[in-house]
Amino acid sequence: MSSWKNLLLRIGDKSHEYGASTDFKDHIETCFSSLRRELEHSEKDILDFLVQCVEQLPHKIPLYGTLVGLMNLENEDFVRKLVENTQTNLQDALDSGNCNRIRILMRFLTVLMCSKVLQPSSLVVAFETLLSSAATTVDEEKGNPSWQACADFYITCILSCLPWGGAELVEQVPEEIERVMVGVEAYLSIRRHASDRGLSFFEDDDEAKNGLGEKDFLEDLWSRIQDLSNNGWKLDSVPRPHLSFEAQLVSGKSHEFGPISCPEQPHSPSTLSGITHGKQRHEAELKYPQRIRRLNIFPASKAEDLQPIDWFIVEEYLLDVLFFFNGCRKECAAFMVGLPVPFRYEYLMAETIFSQLLLLPQPPFRPMYYTLVIIDLCKALPGAFPAVVAGAVRALFEKIADLDMECRTRLILWFSHHLSNFQFIWPWEEWAYVLDLPKWAPQRVFVQEVLEREVRLSYWDKVKQSVENAPGLEELLPPKGGPNFRFSVDGDTERTEQHALSVDLSNMVKGRAAAREIISWIEESLFPVHGLEVTLKVVLQTFLDIGSKSFTHLITVLERYGQVIAKICPDQDKQVMLIDEVGYYWKNNAQMAAIAIDRMMGYRLISNLAIVRWVFSPENIEQFHTSDHPWEVLRNTVSKTYNRISDLRKEISSLQNGIVSTEEAATKAKAELEAAEAKLTLVDGEPVLGENPMRLNRLKMRAEKAKEEEVSIRESLEAKEALLARAIDENEALFVALYKNFSNVLTERLPDASRAGTLWELKSVRADSMSVDLEEPSAMEVDNENERQQKSQSNGGRTSSDGYNIGEKEQWCLSTLGYVKAFSRQYASEIWLYIEKLDAEVLTENVHPLFRKAVYCGLRRPIN
Amino acid sequence: MASLFKDPSKLSAYRDRKFPGSQEDFEHALQTSITVYVGNMSFYTTEEQVYELFSRAGEIKKIIMGLDKNTKTPCGFCFVLYYSRDDAEDAVKYISGTILDDRPIRVDFDWGFQEGRQWGRGRSGGQVRDEYRTDYDPARGGYGKLVQRELEVQRQLVDYGGGSLGSFPPVMPPQYGRHGRSHGHGGSYRRDYQRKRHRDDDGHGYETSKRTSDHESRRISDHDSRLEKNPRFRESGDSDDDEEDDRKRRS
Repeated sequence: MSSWKNLLLRIGDKSHEYGASTDFKDHIETCFSSLRRELEHSEKDILDFLVQCVEQLPHKIPLYGTLVGLMNLENEDFVRKLVENTQTNLQDALDSGNCNRIRILMRFLTVLMCSKVLQPSSLVVAFETLLSSAATTVDEEKGNPSWQACADFYITCILSCLPWGGAELVEQVPEEIERVMVGVEAYLSIRRHASDRGLSFFEDDDEAKNGLGEKDFLEDLWSRIQDLSNNGWKLDSVPRPHLSFEAQLVSGKSHEFGPISCPEQPHSPSTLSGITHGKQRHEAELKYPQRIRRLNIFPASKAEDLQPIDWFIVEEYLLDVLFFFNGCRKECAAFMVGLPVPFRYEYLMAETIFSQLLLLPQPPFRPMYYTLVIIDLCKALPGAFPAVVAGAVRALFEKIADLDMECRTRLILWFSHHLSNFQFIWPWEEWAYVLDLPKWAPQRVFVQEVLEREVRLSYWDKVKQSVENAPGLEELLPPKGGPNFRFSVDGDTERTEQHALSVDLSNMVKGRAAAREIISWIEESLFPVHGLEVTLKVVLQTFLDIGSKSFTHLITVLERYGQVIAKICPDQDKQVMLIDEVGYYWKNNAQMAAIAIDRMMGYRLISNLAIVRWVFSPENIEQFHTSDHPWEVLRNTVSKTYNRISDLRKEISSLQNGIVSTEEAATKAKAELEAAEAKLTLVDGEPVLGENPMRLNRLKMRAEKAKEEEVSIRESLEAKEALLARAIDENEALFVALYKNFSNVLTERLPDASRAGTLWELKSVRADSMSVDLEEPSAMEVDNENERQQKSQSNGGRTSSDGYNIGEKEQWCLSTLGYVKAFSRQYASEIWLYIEKLDAEVLTENVHPLFRKAVYCGLRRPIN
Repeated sequence: MASLFKDPSKLSAYRDRKFPGSQEDFEHALQTSITVYVGNMSFYTTEEQVYELFSRAGEIKKIIMGLDKNTKTPCGFCFVLYYSRDDAEDAVKYISGTILDDRPIRVDFDWGFQEGRQWGRGRSGGQVRDEYRTDYDPARGGYGKLVQRELEVQRQLVDYGGGSLGSFPPVMPPQYGRHGRSHGHGGSYRRDYQRKRHRDDDGHGYETSKRTSDHESRRISDHDSRLEKNPRFRESGDSDDDEEDDRKRRS
């Protein structure tokens, strides 16, 4: 890479490009003198690369802005091009809804204004464009309030520019910026408070927050900006290198910034029913998601004591690094730890990463990415970061009873994976007390599930070894994991006739008998003599045993003898029996049970509906609050069904693109052929069939071929569309079945709605029955603070006297409701498609209010 | 996403010489592949461990364990097939360089599994890298095969008395665990691994050109002398970062 590129890239970093200097002024001067030399003959390269740096290293924007200011003194034309380019990019980003790009380019414009490259008033015009679009969107008459997510995003963009240039704007264009601020305030007064309902990390917040007190993200940002403004725009986290060059920069020519426009939002539906509003809102929130929700896990005494605005800005830096350096481990870790701020921020960094890892409905990247980031930061800051991570784990563990189910699952997967990268070292003795808690206590279940995942990543003895400092915890380890074969011939179990049959079958398989030979053996000597149940047991157990050695062995036996199984289990009832056999065979190995069920669904030996039925069978229902096993199977099933749909959608969209291009090709080929034919008929006015029949022939062939291709693509598109229609029907049936089952089991077990209309009431059912003094719940809802304290006492898990004081039945309900919410949220986009059907068949008037609440919450659908 | 530091189109600087096609075909295969190659695994790592880790990047279609040609036992690599390209990309991005079974594993795009590729390409049946390794790596069968043979010869000369190779004191006595795995010293055994990426080795492992065999014998005698001086013949202090540096320099 040429040296000017390295200098641009590394500006502001501690790096060898800049020698020992860490002074931004030196960096800018060094970089500028290098760019100045190159500008003449690599103008285009510099422009492109500079724009890339700005967009991907946004925490360095003040440095880049100052550089551009200096270049403006040398080469106005170059900077004019840069400004035009930025305008085009911003317009593209607005049109395509590329949130990060919009936000970053707005920041760049702000900094360009500070460096005298842009007139302050042009920046204000850009702000006002965003502001007026936002105000229109939330206007009931003219706009479409369902799209408030977009309007809020625009306002967030304006506000988050101010830390970079608020001081300059107030100094140079006080009235205009005041007008913008008044506009923002007016916007805040007409928009609706954005509730986090359904997306909070902690169950409590979902109930307590309902409109009371808590600021939403934008309101919170607004108050941070007001504090900043009251504080004379002074902050520590934004470098202001342009001040060192002010004397030079003032002589630069300010450029015009062309107008930008915001795309129009889809129109309000003519019938403003709750459902259409909900669907549109869901779509808008997917497109303009809130970037972060704060976990607030560290006590104020521990976390860095920063101005609220500095906290916000470092969060922005970190989120940008996480976003742009996904997949570049080394740079990601280096930029995370080396931000240009004069204070420490390990706690803030941990908070930010964990809040992304647990972000609902989903993090911007796969959770495993954050695992990797945390590992790398522990290595980069070995003295500081591991302790902070441990602190976060402890804090989350304390609140685990309230943690959202989806977050709990992510936390278990993360933590086990994290520990497997650090020799499984953890002070387990701190948590040894969970053994004294009832087996449904969330902290105990958490420990048990982490150990289970550790064993899967490693092996039983190793994990046992790792809990040596809390030997009692061994009790929570999963069983050692071997198969549980009904017809095992080792040991001294009595050998029955069925054992002999199993040996026969096993020998046939060893002798590589074909599937149809086995089928006829079953039809002749097994089924007629012993009946279905024995047949199913013998065949399934034997196959599972043959496939028990490894995942590949399992696949091989299923591929070879799947049709045998299909023959025995053609319908749902028998498939449920089949899954029972899998559960029996792998009762000591949850992973293999889950894999076997998943594969059988993959080979369509069992349907997703059969799996749902099995998950809701009595033995599994009993475990809903004490184990993740049934949920794992259910998650796999739903996700597999969903994956089929999304694969088909992808294929269809690429086929549709294919059609467009083949159509064009076919039309073109046809036109060429016709032109050629027409031309030939005119030769000498005689009806000669072509002076060049070769060419004509070739064109004919080509036209035919193009037409054929078009037809064949159309055919495969039709085929895929039919498959998709089928898959969507399957999915609809799956969700209807799922919700019906949920509703049934919950209705059976939930206390009457008059006694438990809210989760909090549910939690206190047992406490109430024991306490003499019954408080009025309505009084509590008013006194939010008081209510929270009450709750943390009643469900915080550990209280010294009576351990965990939520009863088994109530915990069962809480866990199950938690999963209802988690499934609804994860598949909200699909579920909204079937909402009318669900409303008609499941969410009827007499459904339990807590169940309805859980579903609505997951879908973020207003309850009334 | 970030194009500043990493050229996303540069996938791997390593070329499998058994790939039947041009460099362009090879690159195209890597760019569209849904298969990843996993290297530097312990011989004891099971498919189910691989499944648990790699399914966190997406739904897995198949796992093919690399096996020793002669013993038909795992020899430290495998292929993982996904259903979707995105999942394979995530596996490469997020799993490569992390620990599985106490070892930093390597994950790269692979041009696609074909029957036969599950077998080790080394002379002794395992992976080529395990022919020439000079360190003692209990999770990968102890010393490298050549060193093992050399030790055998020495032992016969000196007559250590009965017992097989296993009676040689390992460099790092296993503290616990099954099959004498190594524990708690992640990284130190990686020296050889970094110096020479074994997929290169796979390519010319069986070539019998004069130059190669010269090279081999030189290496052997070199190991031999080092072995006499210091039975540990290992230096510690490597980290993952070196590997990435190495990768960048090559690309």
